[in-house]
Amino acid sequence: MKPKVKARLQQGFLWLVAVAFFLPVLWLFLAAFKTASQILAIPPRWIFRPTWQGLTYMASHQAFWSHAVNSVVISLSAVVIAIVVSFVAAYSFSRFRLRGTNFMMFVLLSIRMVPGAAVVVPMYLMYTALGWINSYPGIILFYAMFSIPFSVWILKGFIDGVSPRFDEAAQSDGASRLHVMFRIVLPQVLPGIVAAFIFNTIFVWNEFLFDFIIGGNQVATIPVALASGLYTSQGIDWQYIASLTFVYTLPLMVVIYFFQKYLLVGMTFGTVRGEV
Amino acid sequence: MQPSVMPWWRRRLPQPLFAWLLVVPVLAFFVIWNIVPLLWMIGLSFYRYILTFGVNPVYVGLQNFSQILQDYNVWAHIGLTVLFVIGAVGVETILGVLLGFAFWGQTALPGRRLALTLLFSPMVLAPVAVGTFFRLIYDPMYGILPYYIHQLFGIPAPNLLGNGSTALLSVLATDVWMWTPFMILMTIAALGAVPRAMLEASAVDRLSIPRRLRYVIWPHAKFILILGVLLRTIDAFKTFGLVSAMTAGGPGNATQLISLTLYREAFDSFSMGSASALALFVLFIAIAFTSIYLFVLNYQKREVTAE
Repeated sequence: MKPKVKARLQQGFLWLVAVAFFLPVLWLFLAAFKTASQILAIPPRWIFRPTWQGLTYMASHQAFWSHAVNSVVISLSAVVIAIVVSFVAAYSFSRFRLRGTNFMMFVLLSIRMVPGAAVVVPMYLMYTALGWINSYPGIILFYAMFSIPFSVWILKGFIDGVSPRFDEAAQSDGASRLHVMFRIVLPQVLPGIVAAFIFNTIFVWNEFLFDFIIGGNQVATIPVALASGLYTSQGIDWQYIASLTFVYTLPLMVVIYFFQKYLLVGMTFGTVRGEV
Repeated sequence: MQPSVMPWWRRRLPQPLFAWLLVVPVLAFFVIWNIVPLLWMIGLSFYRYILTFGVNPVYVGLQNFSQILQDYNVWAHIGLTVLFVIGAVGVETILGVLLGFAFWGQTALPGRRLALTLLFSPMVLAPVAVGTFFRLIYDPMYGILPYYIHQLFGIPAPNLLGNGSTALLSVLATDVWMWTPFMILMTIAALGAVPRAMLEASAVDRLSIPRRLRYVIWPHAKFILILGVLLRTIDAFKTFGLVSAMTAGGPGNATQLISLTLYREAFDSFSMGSASALALFVLFIAIAFTSIYLFVLNYQKREVTAE
């Protein structure tokens, strides 16, 4: 076989693999543009006349808007808090090498590795005792904590990569410590901040267990809406679920298209650096 | 500079104090959201505390722990979880490594970015959303998968999630679909760590493929691959959203992973004492795995700096 033909065949195979993995997601996306009976139609309909019915039906629900706003507000504010707090701590861990730095980094990572179901019980009791259940600060601060380990890990890695000579040079020119931290080091680790921001937002955006247990009606997000089941008088409301999942998943796909080079560092909680 | 003439707010803090001040916010989060609940949980594990009864907790000593250790169901669910983890991580690793090799060095693939976006899309989806939607895909009446099985093999459309013998496999298949892309990603990254010069040299020397794998690729690729497998193991052990949305542990207890047991103990039976004891048990397993992960990570760092 000619080398060129072989290369083309291999490329075709790779595309086939990619599309195969995407197929269930595609099926889900198609369902968002079907009528309720088309979603459940057997034999399955791959080709049909798309309709906006599902999406307008979803938009007419009051609950959809409250869930969507909660999802956006809670994930963005939690991640912003987490990044600010983590950046200063990561700077300290990287530059001053306090005693116990390694231990702290270990403990932080293990927080992230612990099964949610194991932590949710005491969290629930604590939140009930303190009256934080179903409050925005309660849930936002919890998710900020949830985002801190990953942010510290990734930012410490990036700050380690910035030579301390920058700090020394700026300080000998009379810059204050805060100036060094925010004006000299921060701009150089922007990629790390972007990666931490994006992946923490994805994790919080997708998390449902804690919002389900220590949240409540007022702060319920889209995953909670999906998990608690959406029923009509005829059973599960698949049309609403399909549209909701579509609207909810599409931003994630857009994000991984544009920020693909952070995918590796993002999916390994900042412990493996590199690009794909 | 004369420190004595500077007003106090212009004076530099001593360095250790400044360094600690920067860490204080993270420590505060850590204490409030981790230490306090952890202590709470440890304390509670010595009590019998049924939330719905409205009775004060009763001190029972180690009874919760001895009950867990003797409970046949707990061990069965841990066994099921181990089976699930081994099955899922095993298949994902094999598939991921094979496909990762296929994607290796394919920087000229037309539309590479879009192809990779499609390929990696499953792993950024919310497990709850995936679980919910796969329930429809697996549905014996309306599902697309049973329909095609029926068409292809001429057997009646199977009820995959409703049948005790296929439910776990169906959940496992969904997990494999979701996370094989992650192992592909890790494989591509691991292979990217192999120096190109060594690969070219081995090609010039006509080293056989198995030898190239053993002596050129493996020494450089092993760390990222091992980290990938460990991370997947930890994550698979945690699986909750996916299985709770797909089967909620059923039918019977066929897909009752340990995280679901824990959840049910706390929020179906409301027995917070024994749930806490069980949670400590699970926590211990998770921390053990994390230590292994970090050990490998540090080992890698030391080896890289030694080179």
